[in-house]
Parts: sequence; structure tokens; C-alpha cells
Amino acid sequence: MGIEVRNLTKEFNDKKVLNNISFKVEDGETLGVVGFSGSGKSTLLKIICGLLYPNSGEIITTPNNADIAMTFQYSALFDFLTVFENIAFPLIERKEFRNKYTQKELKEIVAQKLKIVGLQGIENKYPSELSGGMQKRVGFARAIVTNPKIILYDEPTAGLDPVSSTLIENYIVELKKELNASCLVVTHQLSTIKRATDKAIMLYEGEIVFKGSTQELLKGSNPYTQQFVTASIKGPMQIKSL
Amino acid sequence: MINIKKTLFWQFLNLLEYELKEFLITLGNIGKDFARVIKSMLALKLDKGALVQQCSRFSIDSLPITLTIVAMTSIIIAMQIAPELAKQGAGNYVGSLSALVMVRELSAIMSGFAIISMIGSSYASEIASMAVTEQISAMKVLRVDPVEYLIVPRFLSGIIMMPFVVVISTFCGLVCAAVISNLTAEITYLNFITSMWHGLFIKDIFVALLKSSFFGGTIAIISCSCGYSTRGGALEVGTSTTRAVVWSFVAIAIWDYIFASIFYL
Ligand SMILES: Nc1ncnc2c1ncn2[C@@H]1O[C@H](COP(=O)(O)OP(=O)(O)O)[C@@H](O)[C@H]1O
Ligand SMILES: [Mg+2]
Repeated sequence: MGIEVRNLTKEFNDKKVLNNISFKVEDGETLGVVGFSGSGKSTLLKIICGLLYPNSGEIITTPNNADIAMTFQYSALFDFLTVFENIAFPLIERKEFRNKYTQKELKEIVAQKLKIVGLQGIENKYPSELSGGMQKRVGFARAIVTNPKIILYDEPTAGLDPVSSTLIENYIVELKKELNASCLVVTHQLSTIKRATDKAIMLYEGEIVFKGSTQELLKGSNPYTQQFVTASIKGPMQIKSL
Repeated sequence: MINIKKTLFWQFLNLLEYELKEFLITLGNIGKDFARVIKSMLALKLDKGALVQQCSRFSIDSLPITLTIVAMTSIIIAMQIAPELAKQGAGNYVGSLSALVMVRELSAIMSGFAIISMIGSSYASEIASMAVTEQISAMKVLRVDPVEYLIVPRFLSGIIMMPFVVVISTFCGLVCAAVISNLTAEITYLNFITSMWHGLFIKDIFVALLKSSFFGGTIAIISCSCGYSTRGGALEVGTSTTRAVVWSFVAIAIWDYIFASIFYL
């Protein structure tokens, strides 16, 4: 078992952003998280990886205190470091790894991780010299360099063209297989749900309004997911603010 | 009936409430970050490579500006006092007066101002932009402590390098003062140097070094902390940088007062 979230509640200034959320993701399984902008998806990921504290509820990972990787909506690469230094960053700076790897080993590991995300020979470039899609892939490589068993993706395909999106979706599937990891993918994009996830939850006003397989989300009769999939204005969900 | 909420007094209270809150939050953040820095220094967590890099940046990169400002201050003072004193027949005191003024006060404070504008502002803005682009969050997720990686080396470099900066700029300033005194009041170099040694005590130099170290550490911690607590976007990066500069200016002025009253009162 990979990760379990139990009765999670999070408030910002008395506004409940997440209300009693529970779900499980097994090893080698990918959970899609969908919902409108502002429905608390990023907040959920940030709580899981420890950047925010919940008001109540718990996160249980196996093994306990497992290494959790997260890729950010806007990549969050260190802009003062090269691609090589970015990817090797946790191996160089994290206490448990310090001085464990020689420069040569680091080079090999970085090259191998870059190859997994389809990039080669860009070690000496700076993030600002890369396109948005390449930055995302470098972000992926950095996230998986410590071989984490839990990977969180925040809108991995937002703002990319359809072909690049497909590429990213394939890498999400591949990385999961490579590491037998539990993954959470936050996305608005149906293609990403379809290609990269095994099951999904849908958030609306802080609650889970759908929980089931990807098939059910795309084809099922739940009024919420139907509205989402058909992108209809009419339905149980209302956009309060654009 | 006048509506109390529309009066100037009410607006003043609102402003006071806002400013006071901002002030206390900033003070709290600086205190909190200082405590964290001390904690990770006590745990001997130190990134040597980052420290060397920050030290070289703090001293070498800032030196041109610092030297210019301190030298100009020194030149202006010599220009003002050397001819005056020489006219009164007190040319023998030009060296000691220049040295006293520079070593006790102006070198450190002027270098401090130069360092704030060169180094403090860039510490604040680079850390602030890392905060708003989630680079600091990414660092935490990668389980590298940002305080240890970003703030500790900058804080230490301030403490270690500021005395060097001040020593070099004081030396440079006094050389300029000697030259100017010679040109404007025909005070010989030998006279200037002898007078200088009569006026200065070891205590003055010791206090100046200690004070510079305090200035350096204060500038670094305030700038880093203002950057680190930034939330929002480009606008907030600007606000934080301004705040870092203003707070650093005020803080070193206060330190200067404290040092003067402890050692010279
Ligand atoms: N640090 C914060 N302080 C206050 N409110 C926040 C904070 N972070 C997020 N929120 C609010 O929580 C809600 C959910 O945000 P978020 O998780 O980013 O949504 P999503 O990723 O689904 O678009 C939004 O209404 C947002 O305004
Ligand atoms: Mg989001």
C-alpha cells in the first residue's frame, strides 16, 4: 500500500477548502484529481508532501515517512543552477546523501534520469534557456532522482500543446512503472485523465463528489463527472468566481 | 451628525493599525529566521561551498562601490577640515581627526550603506523571487532545508566578510585623505601618518571590527528574512526588497548608536 489520506480538513481564514477528504492509492497506481480551479487540488498535494499542515486528518504513507516527490505547476526549477545541478540537487545537498556520490556517478545518474524524460545533452543549460515543456520534464527528472515511491504531479500538462501533453502523459505512465510508485495527478485535462490515470476523484466545494475508476469518470452517470466531461454550464456545479 | 468613519482621525487609526501590524510581523519574521539560523549553525549544519561563494560575493563584488563611497566620504572630510585646521595652525591634527572620524564612525556606516544597496537588496530580491516561484517549496519537498542552504551561508558571509570590507575601505579612505590634505593644505605624508597614530587607539580598531561584524550579520539576516517571507508575485518582491533596505538602514543606525554609547560614553 502506498498512500492513504484520512478525513483531511483544511481551512484558510475560516473557509473550508478541503472537507473530510479520504482516499487510498496503492503501489503502482495513479489517482487523478480533478475539479475546478480553486477547488483545493494544489492545497491537497501541498498537504500530502508536508508543505502545509491540515486542520485535521492524517496522511499515512508506507513505508512510514516515505520520500515524496512533487512536480510543480510552473516547474519551480532553481533558476540559478544548471539543469545538471538542478537534477543532482537532492543528491548533493540532502543530508542523507551528502558526499555519497562521486561527480562521475552523479553525471551518470543525471544522464539516465534525463533520458527517461526524453532529454539528452542539456546538462549545462540554465532553466531559462528551455521551453516550458522541457522545463516540466527537467522538473520530473529532478523529482524522481531519489527514486521516490510517491509522486505528486500538479497540473503536469497545463499550458502545453496536445502533442507535448501526450508525451508528458506517457512519461507519467513510464515513471510509475519504473519505480512502482503511487502517483497523484492533478489535472483539468481529459486526455491526461484518460491516458495517465487508473482511478480518479473529483473535488467540488471541498468535498469528494466522485470516486471511482477512470472509465467511470469518463463514461459513467454521475452528474458531476458528466458535467465535467461534457464541459457543460448546466449541472450540479456552479462556477462562483472565474 | 458626523460620520466618524469618514473623518481623518479614523483613517489615521486605520493606517496605524495596518502599519503597526506590518511592523510587528516583519520584526517577528526576522526574529524567527534568526533563531532558525542560530539553530542550524549550532547543529553544525554548514554548506562550505555555498559559504565560500557567498563570502566572495559579499566582499569582492561589493568592493568597487564600497571603496568609492568610503573614499569619497574621506576625501570630502579631508577637504573640509585640512585647510581649516592648517589655517588655525593645527595642521598636526588633520591625520588624527581624519582617522578618528573614519575608523570610529564613517567607514563602517558608509560601507554598511554601500553593502545594503549592493548586497542586501540582491539577497532580498533573489530569495523573494525564489519564494514566489515556489523554488523554496520545491527545496523543502526535496528535503533540503532552505534556511540552511540559503540563509546560513549569507548570514555567515556577512559576519565574516564585513570587517574585511571595512578594513580595506578605511585604509583606502585614509590614503585618499592623506593625499587630499597634502594637496589642499600642504600637510606632509609623514606628518599625517604620525598624527594618525597619535589619535588612534587599539580600542578604536577593535570596536570598529566588532561593529562591522554586527552590521554585516544584521544586513544579511534582515535582507534574507524579508525575502524569505514573501508571498505573492512581482509586486511583493519589490515591496520586500524595499522593506529589507529600509529595515537594514534603520537597524545599522541603531547598532551604531548602541556601540557608540557602550564604548565611548
Ligand atoms: N496560502 C493560502 N492562503 C489563503 N487561501 C489560500 C491559500 N492557498 C490557497 N488558498 C485558497 O484555497 C482555495 C484552493 O486553492 P488551490 O488549492 O490552489 O486550488 P486549485 O489548485 O484546485 O486551483 C482557493 O480558493 C485559494 O484562494
Ligand atoms: Mg492549482
